[in-house]
Amino acid sequence: MSSVLQLKNVHKAFAGVPALSGIDATLADNAYISLLGPSGSGKTTLLRVIAGFEQPDGGEILFAGKRVDSVPPHERGIGFVFQNFALFPHLSVAQNIAFGLENRVVDPVTDPKVVAARVRDIISLVGLSGLEDRATTQISGGQKQRVALARTLVTEPSMVLLDEPLGALDANLRMRMRSELRTIRERCGVTFLHVTGSETEALAMGDTVLVLDRGRIAQSTDAGSLYSRPASADVARFLNCYNIFSGTVEGEGFHSPVGMLALGGSRQASGTPAYAIRYDRVSIRPQDAAAAGDEVRIEGSFVASEYSGAAINSFFTLDDGRVFEVETHLSHVAPTAYEERGRYALVWKREDALVFV
Amino acid sequence: MTMAATSHDTPVETAEHHARKQPDRTFWLLAPGALWMLLFLVAPILMMVYVSFWTQTTFKIEPTLTLKSWVTFFSSDTYLGALWTTVRIWLIVLVCTLLVGYPAALFVGLFVKNKTLSTALLVLCVIPFWTSFLIRVLAWRPMLGKEGAINMILMKLGVVTQPIEVLLFSELSVIIGMTQIYCVFMVGPIAFMLGRIDPSVIEAAQDLGASFWRIFRTIILPLSMPGVVVGAIFVSVMVLGEFATSAALSGRKVNLLGNIIVTQVGSLKWAFAAVAGVVLTILMGAVVAALLRVVDLRKEL
Repeated sequence: MSSVLQLKNVHKAFAGVPALSGIDATLADNAYISLLGPSGSGKTTLLRVIAGFEQPDGGEILFAGKRVDSVPPHERGIGFVFQNFALFPHLSVAQNIAFGLENRVVDPVTDPKVVAARVRDIISLVGLSGLEDRATTQISGGQKQRVALARTLVTEPSMVLLDEPLGALDANLRMRMRSELRTIRERCGVTFLHVTGSETEALAMGDTVLVLDRGRIAQSTDAGSLYSRPASADVARFLNCYNIFSGTVEGEGFHSPVGMLALGGSRQASGTPAYAIRYDRVSIRPQDAAAAGDEVRIEGSFVASEYSGAAINSFFTLDDGRVFEVETHLSHVAPTAYEERGRYALVWKREDALVFV
Repeated sequence: MTMAATSHDTPVETAEHHARKQPDRTFWLLAPGALWMLLFLVAPILMMVYVSFWTQTTFKIEPTLTLKSWVTFFSSDTYLGALWTTVRIWLIVLVCTLLVGYPAALFVGLFVKNKTLSTALLVLCVIPFWTSFLIRVLAWRPMLGKEGAINMILMKLGVVTQPIEVLLFSELSVIIGMTQIYCVFMVGPIAFMLGRIDPSVIEAAQDLGASFWRIFRTIILPLSMPGVVVGAIFVSVMVLGEFATSAALSGRKVNLLGNIIVTQVGSLKWAFAAVAGVVLTILMGAVVAALLRVVDLRKEL
């Protein structure tokens, strides 16, 4: 697959505070890429630098093989969908969508018939038929989202940047728009770079997921590998599905605040030593149950549990006060009632743990 | 559009219906204001219309109804000339305040990102009001006069050989003075409307490929039009009723309707003054009504 956008060592600081500190990334053509990062990780800055609203302090941005660092936003051919949609409030839905075609500097479309035909096509593509003459104040959030997308797509950009596009929608609509966005992208065949702070959204949407941490790309891989093999303890923390212990590796064990954890399986170099075990790899047993030879066992007192339909998440406090979370899938087992403040053994297989050294 | 209209109207109707059920005690809040306006605005204006039909003799005025004052007004070159001067100066000052005020408002409202700074800049626009009108007029004389600063500099530079006399005691000086005084009333509302434009809307237009002038013409200007209209109403109402600036800066060469009224009242010609007052009021009403047609303020604000 060829690449549409390449970032080489891109830097950006605001008043001396670094927002991007050396971004290297290559984005594939015709793909859905999600960019996951906690707030303050620099994801909006990165998007604005790519779009051209901010100038990078250093590094190179190559778009379709050409450097675009100094090209103004309106000549880059990169579409941008704003978080708050940024629709033109005084124009109708159709006028909003036609804006780019009629007013762009490069190759404007002057024939009103051509404009009307292309607006009509894109309106049916995003499913807005019948709303052409509505004012933008008279449509719902999901419809505004579609107008914002259609307004960009009609100009046929080679790439579309979406800044937390689902953030302004309610939860129900968010789920529907996820698959809708993927379908629209597949029909257009352009690369979407979707910025989000939600790990579930990033995993669900992206063919490739980029994880941004403190102004750097921490990991870039497909959703499945990211979930099961995060590259560092920090990435594992963003995924919100790992219990993480800090400590040091000593021989065949990991010295953690809750005791020695026996090691098995692989170790990954990441800079900061840490031990991570996925919520759904842990089983809860009575305190007196013994662990098998290939298992790791710690103890904790039950605090509360949270039922989410397909799974139940139980929370335990460990001896050092930290909270330990266990996810039990309910497809095969009935939910067990645990005694509040009761001591339980928390057990997992050695090779299921991720060890960062 | 019809669908949109109906779906939009329904909640409004229910809201009104809901309000109607409650006893309208809140209307009493309007009573002091309404009473005040009735006694001291509406009644005097009606009185003025009435007086304009009274019979005016040299020394006294009698409540015998006649059209004489009206006929005199509309057959006199002086009065019609004053009407025309008022309209001409109003239009010129309106255009000047817009030309000077819009770019300033654009800077303050749109390009100054810091809200505190933009408020500070707006306050700067009000500084001329910290000095008295008379002092400003006095200060202009050594600036614009025949031996004033501007003429001295131009003559030193050799741009002109004779001092330019038209700078002071002329229509030009009245226009300069009025533009300076009323500009802030144009800047304020426009800057307010521009400040309400979401910066990402402009970025979106940039991203869609439009140049700055295109964005200005298609996005910024239409979105700031309510501000322009409100500013124009302020300036128009004040300029049309002006008499002090023209009296002080024109050396009585420029007679506006306002000056006519002052003179007539001064010589106790109440009926004539009333005719000029009614004409001025109608003119102002027409101007405001015309400006309100430009933009639907109820929709935009």
